[in-house]
Amino acid sequence: MPRIKSLVHSLRFGGITGLAALMPLLPGSALASEAPIHNGASQVAITLTGDKGGSCKLDHDAAKAGPVTFKVTNKTATSINEVELLSNDRILGEKENLAPGLPTVGFTVTLGGGKYQIYCPGAAKETVAFTVKGKAVKKSGTVANLFADGTKGYAHYVDGVVDAMVTAVGQLNAAIQAGDIDKAKAVYPGSRAFYERIESDVDGFVLPGFKATDNAGNLDYLIDMRASNLDPAVGWHGFHAIERDLYQNNAITDGTKKLAAELYANVKKLDELAGKLKYQPEDLANGAADLLEEVQTSKITGEEEAFSHVDLIDFAANIEGAEQAFAFLKPGMEKIDPDLTSLVAKQFANVHKVIETYRDPKVPGGYKVYTAALKASDAAKLSKIIQALQEPLSKISEKVATAR
Amino acid sequence: MNDDAVEKTGEKAAGGMHLSRRGMLLGAVAGGFGAAIAPSHAEAGSSSKASTGSDDEIDLDRSIPFYGEGVAQAGIHTPPQRHILYMTFDLTTTDQRALQVLLARWSAAIAQLMKGEPIGQVEPERQGAVGFDTGEALGLDPASLSVTVGLGPRIFTEALGLADKRPPLMRELKQLPSDAFRPELTGGDLSLQACCDDQQVAYHAVRDLARIAKQTGVAQTRWTVMGFGRASAGKGQTTPRNLFGFKDGTRNIVDDEDFARHVFIADGPKWQHQGSYQVVRKIAMHIENWDTDRVSDQNAVFGRHKVSGAPLSGTYEFETPDFAARDANGDLLIPANAHIHLAAHENNGGIKILRRSYNYTDGINAVGQLDAGLLFISYQKDPAQFETLQERLGASDGMNEYISHIGSAIFFVPPAPREGSYIGEALFSAQT
Repeated sequence: MPRIKSLVHSLRFGGITGLAALMPLLPGSALASEAPIHNGASQVAITLTGDKGGSCKLDHDAAKAGPVTFKVTNKTATSINEVELLSNDRILGEKENLAPGLPTVGFTVTLGGGKYQIYCPGAAKETVAFTVKGKAVKKSGTVANLFADGTKGYAHYVDGVVDAMVTAVGQLNAAIQAGDIDKAKAVYPGSRAFYERIESDVDGFVLPGFKATDNAGNLDYLIDMRASNLDPAVGWHGFHAIERDLYQNNAITDGTKKLAAELYANVKKLDELAGKLKYQPEDLANGAADLLEEVQTSKITGEEEAFSHVDLIDFAANIEGAEQAFAFLKPGMEKIDPDLTSLVAKQFANVHKVIETYRDPKVPGGYKVYTAALKASDAAKLSKIIQALQEPLSKISEKVATAR
Repeated sequence: MNDDAVEKTGEKAAGGMHLSRRGMLLGAVAGGFGAAIAPSHAEAGSSSKASTGSDDEIDLDRSIPFYGEGVAQAGIHTPPQRHILYMTFDLTTTDQRALQVLLARWSAAIAQLMKGEPIGQVEPERQGAVGFDTGEALGLDPASLSVTVGLGPRIFTEALGLADKRPPLMRELKQLPSDAFRPELTGGDLSLQACCDDQQVAYHAVRDLARIAKQTGVAQTRWTVMGFGRASAGKGQTTPRNLFGFKDGTRNIVDDEDFARHVFIADGPKWQHQGSYQVVRKIAMHIENWDTDRVSDQNAVFGRHKVSGAPLSGTYEFETPDFAARDANGDLLIPANAHIHLAAHENNGGIKILRRSYNYTDGINAVGQLDAGLLFISYQKDPAQFETLQERLGASDGMNEYISHIGSAIFFVPPAPREGSYIGEALFSAQT
C-alpha cells in the first residue's frame, strides 16, 4: 500500500507580499492592537455571537511574526459553526463544530509577516482582517507541497492498478478464447477489482474521433456498462455482457469471445490514456467521494454484478480506491484540519472492520457471494456505515482545493 | 428559482402568508372555536400579524422560540402543528465529547431552522465545497416549526460516562399486552420530533439534522415516520380525526394545571425540571377491516358517536362520559371494553397523559393492504403513566382487533436550553 513516508513536520507558512490590495484595510487598522504573548505564542481570542445576524470578533487584530494561538468561543452564534485562518484563500488552520455552549477551542500556527483573514462562514460579515508584523517566512514544507507529492504518488497508484487490470483481463480473455468456462468464472471475479478501484478517474475518456455524447466512443461505457443503463444504439459491451454469458447463459459463444477480445483491447487503450493523467488534490477528494457514491448506488443494491453476485469484491475495491486517494491527501490534510482527517480515517477503519466480516477465501475473488438473502439482511447496515464516511469525506474537497 | 425566492421574500416582508384553515377547508364547523391563543412555556409564538382568535388558523409566518429559561422544549405544550417528521437515531460512538458536540450542533441548527433560516450556506462560494444546508426550505416560512430532541435509555450508561445523569425514572418500557414490535421500527438513542404547518419545512429540518449526525460521526438514522393531519387537539383547536374517522383527543390535556400535574417534571435533580418522558408507538390500523365494520360497532369500539364525537352516554362532544349509564336492557351505554372506558382518567386513578399524535401512511403493504395508522406520541412525567393505561388497553380494548402496535420507543426530553447553551448541557457539567 503506497503511502507517503516523508512527512514534513515543520509548519511554517509563507508570508505573502503584494497582498495588500486583496483585502481592504479596516478603517481602524492603523490602530491595530497587537496580541500579547504568553507561553511563547501570541494569544488571540475570537468570539462568536448572534448579534446583528451573527458576528465574529477578534480581541486583537494583529500579532508579531511567530506562533499565534487562536482561541475560539461561540457564545450565541447559531449560524456559525466554523472559523478558518486564511492567507489569500489558502486555509492555514481552522476549527469546526463550534456551537453555543461548547467549551473554548484553540489552534496554533506559526505565521510570517503579512496579511491574513479570519473567515467565519455564516456571520453577517464573514471575513475579518488579521495582520502579522515582522519578517515574511519562506515557503517550506507547505501544505501545497505535501499535496503535490500526494497527487504524484496517487498517479503512480493508478498506473499500477491499470497495469494489473491489463494482466487480469488478459487472463480472462485467454480463458474465454479457449472456451474454458470454469476457468473464466474463476478469473472473472478477481478481474473486476482493478477497474472498481480507479473508475472515478477514468470515466471521462472518449476515444479519438467520437463525440463526447456518443457512447460508442466512451471507454467507461464500453468497459463497465450495466444492464440498467444500456444505450440500445450502441448495444452491450464489456465486463457485464461477458458476466451475463458466463453466469446467466452459462455458455461461451463466438459472441462472448468477441466481447472478451474487445474488452482486452479497450483495457489496453485505457492503460495508455491513464498514464498521461495528472491530478489536482481536489481530483483525489472528488474521486474518493465518487467511489463511495458508486458503492451506494450500484454495489449495496446488488445492481453491479447482477449475474455473478460478486458485488462485495467491487465494494471492497471501491473502498480501497477511495482510501488510497485519501491516504495521499492525508499528510496535507493533517496540517489543515486534523480533526476532520482523524474522523475520516476513523470512518474508513469502521468500514474495514465491516468488510472484513464478509471475507471468504473459498469464493473466487475472496468475498462472500452477495445473495438476495444477504442483501436483504445486510444492505441497510452496509449503507449506513458508508453514509457515516461519506458526509465527513465530502468536506475534504474544498479544503484541499484551497491549498494549491 | 431565484426569482421565486425574491418574490417570496417580498411577500413575507409585506406581512407573510396567512392561511386560515377555517376559511380554507371547513365551510362550517360546529363549536369549539373562540379560545384565544394564550402561549406559555417556550412556545410563546411570534408573528408579524396579531393572532385572530383560534389556534386552528395556520399562519405560515409564525415562528416559535427555541431558547428559554426554566421552560420545556417547544413541541410538547405547543399547540400541535399540521405535520410531523419523526426520526430516531442510533449512536455510533461511545465518546461523550462527540455526543456533546452533536447536541450543541443540533441545538444551534434547530435555533436557525425554527426562525426559518438556513443552517448555513446553500451554495458556498468556495470551489469544491458541499453545502452546509441542503436548500429545499429556502424561501419557505418557518410555519411554526418546532424540533424536539429526546435522549434514549442507552444515553445514560457507563459506556458514555453518563450513568450518574440518568433521569431517575428513565428505563425501557416494560412489555405490555399486544406488543407486536418490529425491531426496525423500535428503539433509538436519540429522537427528533419536527412538527410544522409545512411538511417540506419539517422534512428539511430532520434531513439536515441527520446530516449533522453523520458529519460529526456520532449517530445514524434508525427509523422514521412522516405524519399528517394532527390526530390530537391542543388548546383552542377543534378535535381532529384519526384514520378511523373518529375524533381523537377530545379529553386531551389542555390546561397548564394538568401539564404541571401530569406532563412536566418538577422534582428530582434540577437539570430534569421541565423535562418530560416521550413515549412513541407506531400503531398500524387494519384499514380494510375497519371500513367494512358496521358503524354501530365502530361506535361501540370507541365509546363515542363517530360524527359528533359525543360519548355514547350523551349528546355533545365535550360532555363528561357516564361510564355507569345503562340502556333499557341494562347494558352499559359505553361498553366496558370501549376505548374511552379503559383509557379514562376516572377509571385509572386520575392518570392522564398528553397525546400529540399524527396520522401516517406508508403506502400499500406487502399483502396489498393500505399501510396506515397512527404515530402515537405521548408526554408524561413518569413512563408508568403510559404503561398503566396501555396495560389495560392492550389487554382488552375492543380496538385491538383493528390495530397493531408495531413500533415503540421511549425518550427523556430535557428542558429548553437558555440562549448560549444547548439541549442537555447539564449532562456534561459537574452540577447535579
